[in-house]
Amino acid sequence: MRSIQTTIAYPLSSVKPLEGLLGYRTFCFEALQRARAKGKNQRTQSPINGAPLVPIGSVGGFHYGRCPKTGGLFLMDLPSPESWPGLLAETTRYRHAPKGFHAAVSGSRTENVYAPKLDWIQTTLRLQEIRQPNILEVTTPPSDFSSLLNQSGFFRSVTTVNEMDLCRQTGPAAADPFHAAVLLESLDRVDDPGALLAAVRNRLEPDGLLFLTALVSSGFDLCVLGLNNLYLCPPDRANCFSLQGLETFLKEAGFKLIEVSTPGVLDLEIVQAHMRHDPEIRLSDFEHRLLSSDEETRRAFQSFLQERGLSSFARIVGRKI
Amino acid sequence: MKCIIFGYGYMGKIRYQVLRQHPQVESVKVWDPYLDRSKTNLGKDLLPADAPIPWSTIDAAFICTPNNVTSDLCVQALKNCRRVFCEKPPGRNFEEFCRIEEAAHAVPDHLLMFGFNHRLHPSVQAARTLIGEGGLGKVLYMKGTYGKSGGARYRESWRNQKEISGGGILLDQGIHMLDIFQTFLGPLTFVDAVLTDSFWRCGVEDNAFVLLRSRDDVPAFLHSSATLWKHTFRFEIGCEKGYLVASGFLSQSGSYGREMLVIGKRQFEDEALALGNPREEIIHFDRDDSWEKEVSEFLAAAVETRTPAHGTLAEARHVMELIQNVYQRRGQRKATKVTS
Repeated sequence: MRSIQTTIAYPLSSVKPLEGLLGYRTFCFEALQRARAKGKNQRTQSPINGAPLVPIGSVGGFHYGRCPKTGGLFLMDLPSPESWPGLLAETTRYRHAPKGFHAAVSGSRTENVYAPKLDWIQTTLRLQEIRQPNILEVTTPPSDFSSLLNQSGFFRSVTTVNEMDLCRQTGPAAADPFHAAVLLESLDRVDDPGALLAAVRNRLEPDGLLFLTALVSSGFDLCVLGLNNLYLCPPDRANCFSLQGLETFLKEAGFKLIEVSTPGVLDLEIVQAHMRHDPEIRLSDFEHRLLSSDEETRRAFQSFLQERGLSSFARIVGRKI
Repeated sequence: MKCIIFGYGYMGKIRYQVLRQHPQVESVKVWDPYLDRSKTNLGKDLLPADAPIPWSTIDAAFICTPNNVTSDLCVQALKNCRRVFCEKPPGRNFEEFCRIEEAAHAVPDHLLMFGFNHRLHPSVQAARTLIGEGGLGKVLYMKGTYGKSGGARYRESWRNQKEISGGGILLDQGIHMLDIFQTFLGPLTFVDAVLTDSFWRCGVEDNAFVLLRSRDDVPAFLHSSATLWKHTFRFEIGCEKGYLVASGFLSQSGSYGREMLVIGKRQFEDEALALGNPREEIIHFDRDDSWEKEVSEFLAAAVETRTPAHGTLAEARHVMELIQNVYQRRGQRKATKVTS
């Protein structure tokens, strides 16, 4: 098994500005409300192990429950399965619209978020000695990553499939199995992560690789902020696995893990941004001390979080077995 | 396959464990007349010290002895069972290596492989996949630092008694780094070297600084040391589009630190803001399967009656020639000093 650290540092404002997020959250809550008005579905069990979820509070009026065994956070107030694809499509379109926050930072997101992810995928494929692979991108369009994958010239073919089509087994049949599949935070936002993972596994060839990123509840900023974390926003974060829960989930879905990392660089800055936004958020003395420490200390702490799997951004590579 | 291991020291024990677990291995015998029988749990696998070597029942021999008996045993094993795996160094010096080589040439269907497991370490293997068309482009230079602190009983170790070992830290440990250099760059040419024996004063070098170059003029520089105090393995590759640093080493003691590979991508000011401080990724490795890979390759080559993919006679020759050149340069410098 490998784990990875990264030294790249960039400001939160260049990739996911908190201020820009607020309008998007409002839109998401309204869209979720509309979807739920068409039909409701109450989730009561952890998708990892079926354990009864323990209610822990609400985000924007929608309840989350905690998996008692793994610590993952899962949206309990779901709309009906039929309206979920439309909901995701609607919020994704908004995020990329001129008024959505992604449009304003698309250049720096490409440089700081997507280019490193492409690099990660390419490096891993090289290390695994997989050349000219066919890759499956699983996402709700539009995807900022699709063009980067296509332009790289690294892949024999890039096939982008709507994650909800895959989840519902309604997508086009694959001509050939894929060498690799990339799921950038897809498991976070589907209503049935188990179904998605099974569908992806079916489309991979034997020994095919799964590239997965996710926000994880076991990481620093989510542990410190809990439900106050504004990035925990349904439907994008309908599922917020813990790192351990995600590992269990993937293994049980038939993947051998060859890399588990949390190379996040923004945990401390996210908490700082939340404190500026809402000084009433309660932190411990130690957390206050940490956040007000000098830059070198904060950087060292962020490196420590990365190295020890304690950042809230997780990256995993699994091999189909 | 029925195997015999000569010598049950650090290396012998590792090979024994690996062979015992290998599906192609039927039995493993150990020959080590200096072993205290009561302190091992080898049972019937340990041959009696005074018993003759049961060559007629042996398919492959593993030579894991101190250097002074390596060449004799290799020659004997080549004659008697044809398949020989020999730990580095292949003899105390180039002459002893040549004896092994000559014996091998006299056995047309022989299999001879040398143990240079470091090139199979995960960080080094990963680095190989990333140079050239792997993304980082042409190699511009290589640097290697490999060393240890010696230790309280360093002087007493057989490794520092020239009659037994044949040389100092360069032959004992630096040879691995030379092998790694050649794995990446092909056969190297000796340029210059400085050796010292200024701290341990064992009569063999405790520090070696060796400058080399490849056929394509890529320079490589080695510092092999027994006075680093902190155990260190650090292998750097400078490339056109970035750099790689393999460091730390998965070992039984863990004293070389966590094995990792730093991947740095070149960035100029027109590409990013981070001039001179580029993005780096660090891959950590937590499993060393180099021993298994090495033994598996040897056994596969035996079954398939082919030359092994690594640790070949030719590769061993290149590395021993380099070491001979370094030691000869030391002799020349001493002679010059006396004359002047």
